[in-house]
Amino acid sequence: MSGWDAVNSPKSQPGSSSSRKTPARTVTLGRVQPQAPALRTIFCNDCDANMAHRYRGNSISTTKYNIFTFLPKGLYEQFRRVANLYFLMVSILSTTPYSPVNPVTNMVPLSLVLMFSLIKEAFEDWQRLQNDKAINNIPVDVLQEQGWETLQWKKLHVGDIIRVKQDEFFPADILLLASTNSDGVCYIESANLDGETNLKIRKALEKTWDYLTPEKACEFKGEVQCEQPNNSLYTFTGNLVIDNQTLPLSPNQILLRGCSLKNTDFIVGAVIFTGHETKVMMNSMNVPSKRSTLERKLDKLILALFCTLFSLCLVGAMGSGIFIDRKYFYLGLLENVEDQFNPNRRFMVIILTMLTLLTLYSTIIPISLYVSIETIKFIQSSQFINKDLNMYHAETNTPASARTSNLNEELGQVEYIFSDKTGTLTRNLMEFFKCSIGGEIYGAGMTEIERDISERKGIKVQEVQMSAGSVREKGFNFDDVRLIRGAWRNEPNHDVCKEFFRCIAICHTVLPEGNESPEKIKYQAASPDEAALVLAAKKFGFFFYRRTPTMIYVRESHVETMGKTQDVSYEILNVLEFNSTRKRQSVVCRYPDGRLVLYCKGADTVIYERLGIGNDDLNKVTRDHLEQFGSAGLRTLCLAYRDLAPGFYEGWNEKFIKAKSSLRDREKRLDEVAELKEKDLILIGATAIEDKLQEGVPSCIQTLSRAGIKIWVLTGDKMETAINIAYACNLLNNEMIQFIISSETDAIREVEERGEQAETALFIKEEVRKQLKQCLDEAQQYFCSPSGPKLGLVIDGKCLMCALDPSLRVMLLTLSLNCASVVCCRVSPLQKAQVTSLVKRGARKITLSIGDGANDVSMIQAAHIGIGISGLEGMQAVMASDFSIAQFRFLEDLLLMHGRWAYIRLCKVVMYFFYKNLAFSLTQFWFTFNTGFCGQRFYDDWFQSLYNVIFTALPVVFVGVLDKDISPSLSKKYPELYKEGVRHMFFKWRVVALWAFFAVYQSLVFFYFISATCSTSLDPSGKMFGLWDVSTMAYTCIVVTVNLRLLMMCNSITRWHCISVGGSILAWFLFIFLYSGITTPLDRNDNMYWVIYILMGTSYFYVTLLLVPVAALLVDFLYLSVQRWFFPYDYQIVQEMHKDDIQSTDPSELLESKQQLTPDEARCREISQLPKEVSRHSGFAFDSPGYESFFASQFGKYVPPKAWDVARRGSMRSKATPK
Amino acid sequence: MSSYTPSSSAGGVGSADSAAPRRNSKRPKYSKFTQQELPACKPILTPRWVISAFMLVSIVFIPIGVVSLLASRDVVEIIDRYETECVPQNFRNNRVSFIQSDANKTCTRRLTVTKHMKQPIYVYYQLDNFYQNHRRYVKSRSDSQLRDNSSWNDVSSCKPEDDSNGLPIVPCGLIAWSLFNDTYNFSLNNQQLAVNKREISWKSDRDHKFGNDVLPRNFQNGTLKGGKSLDPTVPLSQQEDLIVWMRTAALPTFRKLYGKIERDLQPNEVIHVTLENNYNTYSFNGKKKLVLSTTSWLGGKNDFLGIAYLTIGGLCFFLALSFTVVYLVKPRRLGDPSYLSWNRNPGGH
Repeated sequence: MSGWDAVNSPKSQPGSSSSRKTPARTVTLGRVQPQAPALRTIFCNDCDANMAHRYRGNSISTTKYNIFTFLPKGLYEQFRRVANLYFLMVSILSTTPYSPVNPVTNMVPLSLVLMFSLIKEAFEDWQRLQNDKAINNIPVDVLQEQGWETLQWKKLHVGDIIRVKQDEFFPADILLLASTNSDGVCYIESANLDGETNLKIRKALEKTWDYLTPEKACEFKGEVQCEQPNNSLYTFTGNLVIDNQTLPLSPNQILLRGCSLKNTDFIVGAVIFTGHETKVMMNSMNVPSKRSTLERKLDKLILALFCTLFSLCLVGAMGSGIFIDRKYFYLGLLENVEDQFNPNRRFMVIILTMLTLLTLYSTIIPISLYVSIETIKFIQSSQFINKDLNMYHAETNTPASARTSNLNEELGQVEYIFSDKTGTLTRNLMEFFKCSIGGEIYGAGMTEIERDISERKGIKVQEVQMSAGSVREKGFNFDDVRLIRGAWRNEPNHDVCKEFFRCIAICHTVLPEGNESPEKIKYQAASPDEAALVLAAKKFGFFFYRRTPTMIYVRESHVETMGKTQDVSYEILNVLEFNSTRKRQSVVCRYPDGRLVLYCKGADTVIYERLGIGNDDLNKVTRDHLEQFGSAGLRTLCLAYRDLAPGFYEGWNEKFIKAKSSLRDREKRLDEVAELKEKDLILIGATAIEDKLQEGVPSCIQTLSRAGIKIWVLTGDKMETAINIAYACNLLNNEMIQFIISSETDAIREVEERGEQAETALFIKEEVRKQLKQCLDEAQQYFCSPSGPKLGLVIDGKCLMCALDPSLRVMLLTLSLNCASVVCCRVSPLQKAQVTSLVKRGARKITLSIGDGANDVSMIQAAHIGIGISGLEGMQAVMASDFSIAQFRFLEDLLLMHGRWAYIRLCKVVMYFFYKNLAFSLTQFWFTFNTGFCGQRFYDDWFQSLYNVIFTALPVVFVGVLDKDISPSLSKKYPELYKEGVRHMFFKWRVVALWAFFAVYQSLVFFYFISATCSTSLDPSGKMFGLWDVSTMAYTCIVVTVNLRLLMMCNSITRWHCISVGGSILAWFLFIFLYSGITTPLDRNDNMYWVIYILMGTSYFYVTLLLVPVAALLVDFLYLSVQRWFFPYDYQIVQEMHKDDIQSTDPSELLESKQQLTPDEARCREISQLPKEVSRHSGFAFDSPGYESFFASQFGKYVPPKAWDVARRGSMRSKATPK
Repeated sequence: MSSYTPSSSAGGVGSADSAAPRRNSKRPKYSKFTQQELPACKPILTPRWVISAFMLVSIVFIPIGVVSLLASRDVVEIIDRYETECVPQNFRNNRVSFIQSDANKTCTRRLTVTKHMKQPIYVYYQLDNFYQNHRRYVKSRSDSQLRDNSSWNDVSSCKPEDDSNGLPIVPCGLIAWSLFNDTYNFSLNNQQLAVNKREISWKSDRDHKFGNDVLPRNFQNGTLKGGKSLDPTVPLSQQEDLIVWMRTAALPTFRKLYGKIERDLQPNEVIHVTLENNYNTYSFNGKKKLVLSTTSWLGGKNDFLGIAYLTIGGLCFFLALSFTVVYLVKPRRLGDPSYLSWNRNPGGH
C-alpha cells in the first residue's frame, strides 16, 4: 500500500512543496461559502435569479469557422505554411515590373492549392455545423407555466426544470430530481461518454422524489450550490438547499450530457451545466495534433530548397551586376533607364535582379507537395487502413480506424512499442480459476502461463481432463469436485467456505439484469473480475439475484437444509467503494438475524496490513498461495471479514454520514472514515482469476521484434504477474540476460517500516542508483559484441520513479535502450507517460504506445503514435489515440504493411517532387547564364504555372497510393524489411543528394542538348527557330522525361499508373495544341502562336524527343541497374526471391491463410472461439485516469492529483440521508 | 408470388458467399483497391532486363545517329567572318567610330565553293554576343501595334523606343529599332546572283503577327539610328527582314535567314560578295558572319544530334557488353538470401 502511494502521489517526494500546500487550502474552504468564487449557485426554476449570473446557453458549436471568419481564418491557417506564404510573397512580387513573369505564373498554382485546401476545410466545417445544428435542435420538454413545453436543446438555460423520456439523451448536465421508478432511481447508459455499455443507476435525493408532475414541479424552489464547471467526469460536489435544509449532492444525482436514459419512463431534473460547460464538452479538449517525423524532415528539405533558391538567385544577381553595360547599345541603356538595368547603379541592379530571379525560380519550391501528400495520406488512411479486411475483427465487429491521417508513414518507422498489459496483451476476459479457502487450494487446471513455464523447464504437460461433471461457463473455468455442486459442505472447513461464498456474493457493486433465474440472469459489473466472482458464487450455490438500494437478495444452498435453497436478504448498510488508492472494497451488511458484518476484498498488500492479530499460520499459508497464484499469472484478491458490534457501528456511521455531506475533499474524508472501520479483519481466503492472453500475441511480438522493434510492457500489475505475462508473450526468455530492479528488497522494506517518507525516498533512490550501476556495468560487456545475448530489464514503479530522476535518467536510458524488451510493473498512468517521453525525447526514437484503458491515455498521447484497442473497453483510449485497432496482433499489419508502405510511398513522393521541381527550375537557371543574367523567362507563363499542378501532378499521387514493393504476406514473412524504414533508408540526405544529382544532370541535358542543336536551321526550308520554339521543345522533353522517370521508380505498375502518366503527357500536348493554335481577343499570345505546329512540322522534333529523354534517363537507369546489381536493398532481394510466386488476388485467400496457424496461434484461436464477454473497465488493475493532471501540467497548469477520480458506477448507499 | 423468386435467388447468391456481411456489420467491403490488390505488373530490373535495355537503346540509336550524321555531313556550309576585315586598316583601332561615321562601308568578300551546293542555298547572317533574349530587349515590342493598324499608337510596352519627337513609332521598341542592316550582294563570274528574300519568315508570323495594313511610321527618326530603316510604303507583313528579326533568338549566338539563292553552285566557283557593313557590333565586340548553307531533311549543318545519338548508342552498347561480361564472369544469383542485410551480418549491425 505504502509503496503504491509513494508512486502515485507526489507527496512522498521530498521537496515537492506544491502538494503540501493543498491541505492548508482545504481548511479554509471546508465551510460552505455560497458567495465564494469557486462555487456556482443555481436557483432552480427561477429564470430571473439565474439571469444575473449570465450562465452560458446550451447551444454548442464545434465549428472552426463561421461565414465571416472562414476566409480570413482559413487563409491565415493556409499561410502558416511556409511554402504558401512564399508563393503569396512571390505572387505579390510578380505584379511589380521587376517580375519577368506574368503574375498568373505564381497565382494559378497558389490559388489552386489554396482553393483545394479551403474547399476541404469548408466541407469539413460544414459537416461539423450540420452536426451541431442537428444536436442543438433536438427537442426536449421544459417546464413552463405549469406544463411541459417542447423546446429545442439550444434554448435551455441553467436552472430550467426539464423532463427526459426513456431512450432520450440528456441535453445538459442535470440534477436528478424525480423519476417514475420507485425510490427515485433511474438507469443511464454512458456509452457516448466512456464506452461502457452497462447500465448505471442514478438516484434522486428523497426530498425531491415527488416533483414529478408539472404541477408539483412548478412549486420546486431549490438552490444548488456546486463546483464550477470542470472536466472530471466522475466527480461532483455540491449541495441542494431546499426549505432551509442543506442536502449533499454527489455524482449519484447528476445525469451527464451524452448519457441516455434507460429502463425509466421519464425523469425530471434541473439543469446545472449547459452547453460548453457540460462535463462532456469540457472533456473534448483539443489534442495537440501530432506531426510525423518525415514531415518535420520535409520542412528541413524545404528549407534546404530555400537556401538553394537564394544561392541561385545570388549567383544570377551578381552576374547581372557584372554584365550590365552601356556597350550593348541595342538594350537602349543611354537615357531614362530604369534602376534594374542602370549600369550606373550596379548595386541596385543586383538587388532588383534578385527579386526578379526569386519570382523566376519559384518553381523550385514544390507548392503542391503538401496538398498531394495530404491527399495521399487521406486515401491511405481512409481507404486502406480503415478498410483492411485483415484488420477487421469479426467477433467484436470492429474494423481498424485511423483517427488521423497525419501519421501513416510514422507507422513505418517505429522503433519502440510501449504496451499496456491488461486488455492489450491479455484479453481482460476474467475467469474464476482457483481459490484458496482457509489455507486450502481449490481448483485444478493450469494456466497458459504455467504451461509455458513448464514447457520451458522441459516438463511435458499432460492436458488435465475436465472432470465429468465440470460446470463451465464464460467467466467460470473452475474445476474441483470438492467444491462444486454443493460438495463443499463435506469439507472440514465448510464454515470458512460459507463465509468465502457469502463474501463474494455480497461484497460487490454488480447489478443483476434480466430474469431472476440462475440460467438467464446477466450481471452488469464495472470490472470483469467482479462479475467473475459473483458468477462463481452463483456456481457455488450462493446465487445473487436481486439488488435494491438497501438490500441484496441471495438464494443460498445451506448445509442445514441439504439440497434445498433458501432466499436470504441482507441489508446493505454501507458500501465503501473501490478506488485505486484504497485498492479494496467493503460492504457492511446486516444478516436477517441481526448479525452485523463487514466484508472486505482487495489487493493482498492492503488486506494484510489490516488483518487482526492471530491466525498467523493461515495468513502465511494464504500468502504462499497468493504467490503461487501470482506466478501462474493469475489476478488475486484477498477476502476478509469482520464482525461489528452494533454500538461501534452506530458511532462510525455518524462520522461516515458527516464525511459524506462535506462539500470539499469529501473523497478524502470518506477515505479517512473508512480507514477507521477496515481494521482487525479476519482473513477468509483468496481468489485467483485468470486473465487470458489475446489471440496471436506471442507470434506478433516475435515478428515485431524480428523487425527490430523493441517492446516495453508497462503495467500496473505485480512484478511476478508481469514477468509471467512477458514470458508467455515471448518478451522474455531464458536465453536473455535479465536485469531486475525491484523495490521489494528486504533492505528497502526495513527502511519503509520505519515510516519516514523522506528517508525512505532517499534510501530507495540510493538503492536504485546502486542497482542501476551494477546492471549497467554488467550490460556494458554485451553492448559491443553483436552476437551477444539479448538483454531484458524488469523494473517496478517505485524504482522507476527514482530512476526517472534527472541524475539517474541517463543511466536508465542507456541501460534500457540496449535491452530487447523492458517490463515496467506497478507503474501509474503518469509514469507510463514519463517513460514514453523519456525514450521519445531522450533517445529521439520513434515511439508507439498501445493501450485500451483510461489509464493508457497519457501514454498514448505522449508517444509519437498512440494506438487504442477498440471494441472492448471504454472509449477513452480510442478517443485519445491516432489509430485504433481491435487486437494487438493487428499491429503486425498496421506497422509491417501499412506503415512500411506508407513510409516508402511518401518518401518516393517527396523525393520525386524534389527532383522534378529542381530539374525544371535548373533549366531556367542555365538559361539565365545565356541571357546576360537579366532574368528573362525561358518558358511561357502558363507552362511554368501548370507544370506543377497539371502536367506532373497526378501520376505521383497514384504512386503514393498504389506503389507496392512486395506483397503484404511477404512483408510479414520478412519483418526485417521494416528496419529499412527505421534506418531512414529512403529519406536521408544521401538520397536527397542522389536525387539532386539526377536533377542537375537531367537539367543540363535538357538545356544544353536543346540549345546545342538550335544554332543552325532545323528545318529543310532553312528558317530559324526563335526563343519560344526552343523553350517549347525543351519543355516537351521535360514533361515526357519527368513522367517517364516516375514509371522507372515504380515497383508495381497498374493500369492507373499508365493512364496517369500517359494522360499527363497527353494533357501537355492537348494543352499546347490549343494554346498555340487558338488566339483569343484577350490574350493573343503572339509569342506562342503556332509554335508547336512549326516544331512538329520538322523531323528535328521527333529526333530530339527520342534523344533527350533517353539521354536524360540513361544515368538514372544506370544507377538503378548498378544499385540493384551490386548493392541491392533487402526488399529488392525479397522481390527477386518471390518473383515467380503467383499473385493470388482471390479474396478467399484471406480465409485460407487462417488455416495455416502455428500451434501457438491455434491454441489462442481456440480459446478465442469461446463465448466472450464484452469486458469492462478493470478496476482492480489500478486503472485510474491520472492523465488529467499529467496533461494539465503539460499545459502549464497545476492540478492536484485526484485520488478518487476514477470510474465508478452508480451504486447505492443506504441510509445516506438522515430520516 | 413471382416477386418472390428473384429475391430468394438473390438470397441464395448471398448465402453462397460465406463472407456475406451480416446486417449491421462494420466489416469493410472487399474491393481490390482497398485491399491493395489491384492487378499490377511488377517489373524487376534483372540483369537480363538491364542488358537488353542497353542493347535495345544502342540498336535503335546507332542507326539513327549514323543517318543524322550523314544528313548533317551532306550539308555544305560556307562561313565567312567579316567584321574585322571589312573595317579599313586605318580604322582597325577605332572600329566603333568607323561604324558610326558616314564613311563608305562597302566591302567585298570572296567565297570559294568547296563542294557542290544544291539549290536552294540559304544565306544567313550570324551574330555573336548579341543578347536578343535579354529581358529588356525581348519585352520592348508591341504585338498589337504590329498586328493591327488601329492600335498603332499602342507603344506603352516599347520603352525606351516608343516615340520619336512625341509621335508613336511603328514598329516601336528596341527589337525593331535595332534591326540588322548589313546588306549582301552576290555575284558569280561577274554575274549577279539573285537573292530571293521572300518566304524567309515563318508563314504563321507573316499571316498573324504582322498586319498587312500596318505601315512603318516615324521609324528610325530619332537622333540615334539603331539599325535598318524600313520603307514606309510597304506594310509590315511584307517586311520579311523585320519579321525574321522580330522572332527573337534563344541564345546570344544566333543565325537569321537573309535570303535564298535559287541556283546550284559548283565546286571551286568563287562568289564575290559585296556587302554593306553597316551594323554596329563593334561596341560590344560581337562577331558577324555570313553563312551560305544548304539543308538536309534535318535542317542545317549540325553534327550534334548525330554525335549525341552515336555516343549514347555506343555508351549503351559498351554498358551492355560490360554488364554481360560481369554477368558471365561473376553472375549474380537472383534473390540470393545471403544478400539480405540481416543475413550478411548476423545479430544486427
